[in-house]
Amino acid sequence: MFCGIDVGGTHTDAVLVDESGIVAASKIVTDHKNLVGTIRESLDKILHEAAPGSVEWINISTTLSTNAIVENKTEKVGVMVSSGPGVDPSGFAIGDHYRLIRGSIDHRGTVVQDLNAKDMKGALKEFSKKKVKVFAVVSKFSTRNPSHEDQLSASLQDTGDYVTRGHRLSGELNFPRRITTAYYNSAVWRLYNEFADAVEKSIADHGISAAINILKADGGTMPLTLSRVIPVETILSGPAASVMGIIALCHIDEDSVILDIGGTTTDIAVFAEGAPLIEREGISLNRRPTLVRSLKTHSIGIGGDSVLSVADAKVVVGPERVGPSMAQGGDAVTLIDAFNFSENAGFGDESASAAGIKKLADEHGMEPGELSRQAVQRAADVIKSEVHMILEEINQRPVYTIHELLEDKHVEPKKLYIMGGPAKAFAGVLEKSFGLPVVVPEEFAVANAVGAALARTTKDIELLADTEKGQLIIPSIDIMKKVGGWYTLSDAEADARQYLLEYLKNHNADTGVVPEIVESTSFNMVDGFNTVGKNIRVKCQVKPGVLLKFGKAPEIQKTETEA
Amino acid sequence: MIQAKNRLGIIFFPAYDWAISPTHPEREERLLYTQDQLWEEGVFDITGIREYKPDIATADDVRRTHFCFPDVGSVVTESHLISAGGAIRAARLVMEKEADKAFALVRPPGHHAMKIVHGNRGFCNINIEAVMVEYIREHYGPKRIAIVDTDCHHGDGTQDVYWHDPDILYISLHQDGRTLYPGTGFIEELGGPNAMGRNINIPLPPMTSNEGFAYVIDNIVLPILDDFKPDLIINSAGQDNHYTDPITNMNFSAQGYAMLNTKLNPDIAVLEGGYSIQGALPYVNLGIVLAMAGVDYSHVLEPDYDEELMEQDREITQYIKKLGTRVLEAYFDPRSVAGSRGMVNSYFVRKKDVFYDTDGIREKQLESVMVCDECSGVLKVETVSSVNPISVGIQIPVNSCPRCHKEGYRMLEDAKKSGKYTYVKFINRKDREYLDF
Repeated sequence: MFCGIDVGGTHTDAVLVDESGIVAASKIVTDHKNLVGTIRESLDKILHEAAPGSVEWINISTTLSTNAIVENKTEKVGVMVSSGPGVDPSGFAIGDHYRLIRGSIDHRGTVVQDLNAKDMKGALKEFSKKKVKVFAVVSKFSTRNPSHEDQLSASLQDTGDYVTRGHRLSGELNFPRRITTAYYNSAVWRLYNEFADAVEKSIADHGISAAINILKADGGTMPLTLSRVIPVETILSGPAASVMGIIALCHIDEDSVILDIGGTTTDIAVFAEGAPLIEREGISLNRRPTLVRSLKTHSIGIGGDSVLSVADAKVVVGPERVGPSMAQGGDAVTLIDAFNFSENAGFGDESASAAGIKKLADEHGMEPGELSRQAVQRAADVIKSEVHMILEEINQRPVYTIHELLEDKHVEPKKLYIMGGPAKAFAGVLEKSFGLPVVVPEEFAVANAVGAALARTTKDIELLADTEKGQLIIPSIDIMKKVGGWYTLSDAEADARQYLLEYLKNHNADTGVVPEIVESTSFNMVDGFNTVGKNIRVKCQVKPGVLLKFGKAPEIQKTETEA
Repeated sequence: MIQAKNRLGIIFFPAYDWAISPTHPEREERLLYTQDQLWEEGVFDITGIREYKPDIATADDVRRTHFCFPDVGSVVTESHLISAGGAIRAARLVMEKEADKAFALVRPPGHHAMKIVHGNRGFCNINIEAVMVEYIREHYGPKRIAIVDTDCHHGDGTQDVYWHDPDILYISLHQDGRTLYPGTGFIEELGGPNAMGRNINIPLPPMTSNEGFAYVIDNIVLPILDDFKPDLIINSAGQDNHYTDPITNMNFSAQGYAMLNTKLNPDIAVLEGGYSIQGALPYVNLGIVLAMAGVDYSHVLEPDYDEELMEQDREITQYIKKLGTRVLEAYFDPRSVAGSRGMVNSYFVRKKDVFYDTDGIREKQLESVMVCDECSGVLKVETVSSVNPISVGIQIPVNSCPRCHKEGYRMLEDAKKSGKYTYVKFINRKDREYLDF
């Protein structure tokens, strides 16, 4: 059996699933002051259904790191940045202890200027004076040559508790994002590790010896032990858990749009040929872009509890949430009340909704039916135009070869999947508005926890082989080796697959997964008129996926609709 | 986070699956390290800078610009249509005010491609700036446009395309043609009789450095632009004036290129040549991007940059100052510099021998243009090359007067009737009619 817990902003959902489906489920209010207590309580509620030893893994999605960063409750971090020439690195400053160290590495990974010892000493002095205990060290092009980050890290070895080296977070090229990501990683490191200790203890107290995995923003998991060194990877995993839930609950094999409608917001995700799309670079947090890989999800301020108001005889929906709604016994007129009134959504107390809508309409001299209709239409329009913008962005995504440009792959949704509390209420209106068939999965209310329970390991790596230099590097998993002039693209692809699997195995991760090559290019490097080597680049990933699918295959669905 | 002063659209298309030949300078690897540098610097995370996909230029986009023999399909490949489409996308961003400025970082280049195209010369098949300029005039109405070409080689193609067009001012800064391909681009080349002074060449001595270029922009280019008052400024941004370029002899740097862009303040830049793909392009392109976006570029330096080696000889400085005086004289009083040879009745006639170095094609042209006070003049070019028998191209200009318009149709009928030409190409820019016979 597999256990999934999604610690969300409002609720914590937990499920126990096996091949037959959901065995036990719980929904409790999240206690942000005591996340471990919330997890413990969730386990209590669902685990009595499980025989001891029958739980294979417990997957947890937590808002701990996200909240700490957003609420600025993180530890101070000493940041050492070696930029060399380029964009002024003072523009990337983060935290109160940001120090620039002279030294530079170029795009081929050649050291142009050694690290400046005086600058390093100065930084160390400041850090020790201010009692900084965790650090982030980042150099430009460290993914091509990590030696400067390694040197900076070594210089800090005796002064503190943890050092994040930029190149270990991602193989992607993006120096400013690397700085931000390394900073966040160290900023939440201690807090996260205390949480991990408590989670381990709490699960052991339940007498369970299951593997513990943590959800990431890309819809995959990583072992808890690994998350202790890259806690930044745990940020913003909530929306991804929901998307993975949809994969488990529905059989999706075509281009589709997924809407997760909550009280405050609607999260939008897009599937291409049944697979969730991944953000091209990385997710942003606190308006700072990072290198943390994530599913492409977009959040807008429209939800069931979005408050209705009237301005200039026009109905405005949200963006504030003033819940609970009339339908749920509150005193705010919200979007869900409008759905009850004009769509007979049957959500909670319909007569209370009607009274609220009538009162608001009277106040503004409008017909209640008109007000309600406008509110519903407005919500559908906003959601539709956001979806349109996201699709536009996906379809306008730059490509770099003539082949891809002429091929011009487009995502064109054929179906709309809706989940979340008010999902059923919204279905009819959105079906009309999009002109697409709508599916509302049955267990939508805990889809996020189902997604967490069934999510599998993900990992992506970038390999660069430069046969002129005779060097191969996979920065994020710390592989460097020599290669000869005979090294080819297919050697590189095989190496990428093998090193990725070895890495998963060494970290006791779920290894029943298949790595795939997502990008693979080899450039002849020419000096004068002679070929001097090859520049080989391979991206390899284990893409997000679920262990089991409960969804019916589309053929069966088709028969059912015909019958 | 960093905020750009100008909204800058970048069309980055490195054509990673296209090369003239495996070890040719115009090969897959050319923009690889530029991409590495721009991505590592996080350029696209700067608020205001955005990346866009290129358009694909159509055969009609090419046909309104060039006479292609035997036809468009035979002389262009998809790669050319995409790099021209990249330039068109840049223009659309600016004309539709989606961006304040745009940079088409695309390959292959275009500024050696002339009005008539039989094949590839100087790595160029079609003139991507010219295709863009004609797209702009076709879709956004008549415009006065200045093209400032900062490639180290004389842009003999762009010069040829706009030789007779008074609305397009072409200024080329390049290494003196006596010392470098294509061997043209002298001050006396000032444009045809209907566009005299609209073609300005500034042949610079080898080893000109940042100081020399700054002088040329401040004292020659900007005063000319002030006088011409263009609606749009386009930088044909070749990067081979760089001190590391393998096939030229100049002493320009990334700082210099960025400074030049700040001073020139172009609306659109289009990449041209530049083949120091590791030592120059990553830094020059970064410098141009930051300068166009209005972001501080003072920290952009090549790894081997040495300020002392960049100092300009006094002799060169003196030479450039004298050159400046001559160029300004040529712009403001072109007829005193260029002669008026070649008049046959109402037509100005010139013969040209064109060599397509990349494809090894030889071509002879006989070009006649109606000398006209009211428009750019109807144009007829007879051409014969080692790959195509005698053929002709006739063009009615976009601003055509009734006389030239009528004359164009008469020429077309005569050409068809004569049976002398294997291919007859007809461009009527005024009525947007493009015919092949």
